[in-house]
Amino acid sequence: MSVPRWSLWQPKNRHIFAYLLLAPAVLLTTAIIVYPIISAIDLSFQRIKIAKLGRSRAPWTLANYEELFSSAEFYQAIWVTISLVATVTALSYVIGLATAILVNQRFRGRKLARILVAVPWAAPSVMAAIIWWWLFDSSFGLINWALVRTGLSSEMIPWLSTPGAAFFVIVVVMVWKGYPFISVIMLAGLQSIPLELYDAAKVDGANAWQRFRFISLPGLRSVRGIALILVMLWVFRDFPIIYILTGGGPQRTTQTLAIMTYQEAFKFHDFGFAAAIGVVTLVISVIASWIMVRRSDEPLM
Amino acid sequence: MTRGRWETVILYAVVIAVVIVLVFPLYWMFNTSLAPATQLRRFPPVFAQPEPTLAAYEAIFTERPIGVWLRNSAVVALASTALSMFVSVLAGYSISRIRARGSQAIGLFFLMSRMLPSTLIIIPLFVSFRQFQLIGDLRSLVLAHATFITPFAVWMLKGYFDTIPMELEDAAMIDGCTPLSALLRVVLPLSAPGLAATTLYGFVLSWNDFVFARTFLVANQNAWTVNVGVASLKGEYLTEWNEIMAGSLIAMLPIVLAYLFLERYLVSGLTAGSSK
Repeated sequence: MSVPRWSLWQPKNRHIFAYLLLAPAVLLTTAIIVYPIISAIDLSFQRIKIAKLGRSRAPWTLANYEELFSSAEFYQAIWVTISLVATVTALSYVIGLATAILVNQRFRGRKLARILVAVPWAAPSVMAAIIWWWLFDSSFGLINWALVRTGLSSEMIPWLSTPGAAFFVIVVVMVWKGYPFISVIMLAGLQSIPLELYDAAKVDGANAWQRFRFISLPGLRSVRGIALILVMLWVFRDFPIIYILTGGGPQRTTQTLAIMTYQEAFKFHDFGFAAAIGVVTLVISVIASWIMVRRSDEPLM
Repeated sequence: MTRGRWETVILYAVVIAVVIVLVFPLYWMFNTSLAPATQLRRFPPVFAQPEPTLAAYEAIFTERPIGVWLRNSAVVALASTALSMFVSVLAGYSISRIRARGSQAIGLFFLMSRMLPSTLIIIPLFVSFRQFQLIGDLRSLVLAHATFITPFAVWMLKGYFDTIPMELEDAAMIDGCTPLSALLRVVLPLSAPGLAATTLYGFVLSWNDFVFARTFLVANQNAWTVNVGVASLKGEYLTEWNEIMAGSLIAMLPIVLAYLFLERYLVSGLTAGSSK
């Protein structure tokens, strides 16, 4: 018995089968991803406001990009984005790694502890923002009460309307939501390190720090890069947390490129200009994900 | 490994302290949702309700259309996940099994699409949906959510298909199966746990969306999803925090349950295509 004489499975026909299987996904994503990206790029070269959208084309121009690269607001947004990505990623990494090491120890109730430290990961961004909104509420929030009560602050702090303080709140919410992701991935990484390595090091007289430094950290190298890049891209692209808490304010001190894109389009209705910022964020995302793909140890397929 | 008595005490103390700090915001949410409205604008705060009340839950179900919002979220999540899964199963299988000219590039395209900023794609989608008069319509959200579920699902499913030996299909084909029926009758049943995990995660991604729902549906309150609805409960001057917390808890409960099931699948799924 053998495969029937004419079959899509035969090596010479198999590529036809491959294309047939890919066709629905390619058609769908052409309509909802590829075409929209192309029309966003097209929009970014037109001066176009909401009223004229879809009715007529405006002539091609570089005006949006010229305006963008000469606007202080754009450079401020880049600076906010970079500071936010760096701060959140660094703090999430430290807390995520620390909690991973903690719940990797042997103790009773370890399973429960692992679930509990991962729970904020499951909180939808909208809900994470809302919880902290209440905790940081300027009049009746728990955090202001605790600060005044313990004498750390003499008055209630209007967190979300004070530059600096608002940035701090965004960082807290993002780290709280982001660290469990690092923790979960690092825990999986730690568990893949053979226990014998630790035992051998102990016999050789290595202390806890040395075991961490020379066994755990190198053992985590393969998962660390991907975990960090995914967190960075998440902070880079996040919308709900910042939009709900501050909308980018006060004085644009929490306005990232993603928030600026959105506000230009849907608050100021300047679609062409917004598309130009969006294209810049896309280019940055593509470069970052390209680095991620390049880093992979094995070929993609 | 043995530990001294003090080391054990310190370890437990640290674990308990860390867990309390990290989980406290969720407890505070729960605590607030059970508080009577009068208590929320008074100090000192009450850390454990002496007389917990379900008044806030009653209020959001009777005075707000949260039932409708929950239904909208569920309908959109089911429809967008179904649409994405249909195309992703076929595409993931193709990329996993068959080397054909261009299919590697298509796979790479899906991988990169996972990083697409939603704040960019939303602009042209808004323009198109306005032309097709889909703004305010749940169908706009189904299509928009497919833009981020499909690229994810293709790669997660490809990963599962890679773990199933190809000899099984070859054997099925020798027994007279067509290639498509080998996929449907042999491969899919074997990858059932992976299919379930991918479907559930697609549902979670759609349920968690805020930006598309906020933008496309804002004018039509009957089409709001639960995230948009709950976020709208924050008033300009006065907020009933017990109601907004009750609403948030209800909205996130299905997602937390899904994560408990998904956690072990997600570690490999999220990093699929990047590292093993």
